[in-house]
Amino acid sequence: MFLFNYRYRLKCIFRDRQLMFWTFLFPVLLATLFNLAFSNLSSSDNFLKVNVAVVQNQALDQNPAFTEAIDGADDLFVVQYTTKSAAEALLNDNQIDGYIIFDSKLNLVVSQSGLNQTIIREFLDDFVQSSATIVTIITTNPTALDGGILAGVSSRNEYLTAVSASQSNPDPVVNYFYALIAMTCLYGGFLGVKEVVAIQADLSAVGARINLAPTNKLTVFLSSMLAATTVQLLELLILLAFLIGVLGINFGDQLGYIALTCLAGSLTGVTFGACIGSIIKQGEGLKIGILIGSTMTMSFLAGMMSADIKYLVMTRVPILGYLNPASLITDSFYALYYYNTHTQFFTNILLLCGFTLLFSTVTYLVLRRQKYASL
Amino acid sequence: MVINVKNLVKRYGDLIALDHFNLEVQEGEILGLLGPNGSGKTTAINCILSLLKYDKGTIEIYDQPMSPEAYDIKRNIGVVMQNVAVFNELTVYENIDYFCGLYIADKQTRKKLVAEAIDFVGLNDFTKFYPKKLSGGLLRRLNIACGIAHKPKLIILDEPTVAVDPQSRNNILEGIMALNRQGATIIYTSHYMEEVEQIASRIAIMDKGKIIAMGTNEELKMMIKSGEHINLELLNPEHLDLTEIQALPHIISAEVTDHQLVVKSSRGKNNLIAILDHLKDQNITIGKIYSEPPTLNDVFLEITGKELRD
Repeated sequence: MFLFNYRYRLKCIFRDRQLMFWTFLFPVLLATLFNLAFSNLSSSDNFLKVNVAVVQNQALDQNPAFTEAIDGADDLFVVQYTTKSAAEALLNDNQIDGYIIFDSKLNLVVSQSGLNQTIIREFLDDFVQSSATIVTIITTNPTALDGGILAGVSSRNEYLTAVSASQSNPDPVVNYFYALIAMTCLYGGFLGVKEVVAIQADLSAVGARINLAPTNKLTVFLSSMLAATTVQLLELLILLAFLIGVLGINFGDQLGYIALTCLAGSLTGVTFGACIGSIIKQGEGLKIGILIGSTMTMSFLAGMMSADIKYLVMTRVPILGYLNPASLITDSFYALYYYNTHTQFFTNILLLCGFTLLFSTVTYLVLRRQKYASL
Repeated sequence: MVINVKNLVKRYGDLIALDHFNLEVQEGEILGLLGPNGSGKTTAINCILSLLKYDKGTIEIYDQPMSPEAYDIKRNIGVVMQNVAVFNELTVYENIDYFCGLYIADKQTRKKLVAEAIDFVGLNDFTKFYPKKLSGGLLRRLNIACGIAHKPKLIILDEPTVAVDPQSRNNILEGIMALNRQGATIIYTSHYMEEVEQIASRIAIMDKGKIIAMGTNEELKMMIKSGEHINLELLNPEHLDLTEIQALPHIISAEVTDHQLVVKSSRGKNNLIAILDHLKDQNITIGKIYSEPPTLNDVFLEITGKELRD
């Protein structure tokens, strides 16, 4: 009976086009849209060089050190040497962020304040400071020049080193995909609702027919739930393959643990739907509505729409993160990707198992009754 | 005895759905459970099948107490629900195979039974169709096939012909009689008295949660005072005075509606000659005259004071 029912439930689920759209195609489409939307996010963080003009005059010619310094900063600036009037025109046309003019001292002319203007100013301040230092050394202790002190004045040393906590490079974009997978796991709830409705006499006519048969209801229920979880897990693995293989999302190299997260997430999602399906006695529409509403809320709090929300939850109401299955799934992936230990990962997996147990128990308590007060 | 229900009481809050309901069903009969909508037919069936909790009473099927875990009893029961109960994602064949499979584990036996059920309801040309592609009549046939494919000894059909066209309805009724001829005991609930009259060997009439009359079609009609109805089509009924006709001996009622005079009289005493004489005296021209035996509606009307179709 178990396998017989399992086989037919698989058929029913796979042939339910609406269900397959929401639990499989929709996440794939959403992932594709995420990828399109976020593909330029990293490149937008690339530094764009500052456009600056230097007015050519006699004073500039007498300071070859400055020309050498600014030409050497080619990773910061795109420099144009021009006349003062041309520099003024370029500034007015917003083609440069500012221009530098020598007279008795260094002058910076800008039309507005901003990051680029600050960068130019900082460069000039640095140059002036270094020049002043060198002049002071020459005038007060010229013998020091023999010790190579000038090289020390112009060089910059980094005394802090960034060390990654994991082998992976932090990537804020993957967080959105984690939350998407969490949402997909919880969308397994659609399958859970379907399976519960199908075996409850007070929820569907086929449920009444199944209750009339000489079969153990728990056996039918368990095989139905196994069918739902199988489909859900399969959908998740295909989604994961799509994300990694087609969209090129990096989930690290711990595929076994990723599959375990998918399994725990699927079980949580399917049992969550079954729980909603069993405790809400109104129509299937209301059940689905509540399921979508709660899933979207959980995904929102897990950072699917904005990573800041997840940060806010974790800093202001951390307990909410532990009570939110979507957040637990997201954090499991996060822990795998960023941490080199599995403590946080297994804590999350255990909590997900706890939720699965809770949802299953509630569902069982509702479903165990054999007779109904009304149909 | 196939079914023995004693003093069954079922309440929905303050509403008493079944009020000390008693029922006995004998092997091999077709019992028609007739009653208006809301009379408690479906509730009674659901209680008998252990789907619904009830407040009081006992239910035995094949001399065993019925319960949700009484799998040996359930194995012998086939139910055709009022609502079509099939999976839209499965084909006709798969649906029948699935529901038959809940009773019959052996694949080969099931294959044979499913083929017989398909043949029985005449869905041979539609085995690969999905339910959404079937007409209302074909869908009802599928619903029946799902309920009877495992060859049960007791078949309960709850209003199986609701919203079915006349031709499909006749097919269904003939099928039910064929099942009975093959040995199945049948309980058939309906609010269509014509159907029940046509197929039932015994009829129980329900109202307000209890059986108010039970017997064969003839026995029920013998229970009431009213005999045959004389129907006279009158061409000029405008000046008809019914007082004298109503005063005739053995006349129960006489009413004119749309040129149609219907006279109900006591059994075997129709006073036809006297009625015709009175009409002749009043110069009323008669277009057509015919008589009808009393119907189950008359039985219901006389017992409850209201129409069965109300």
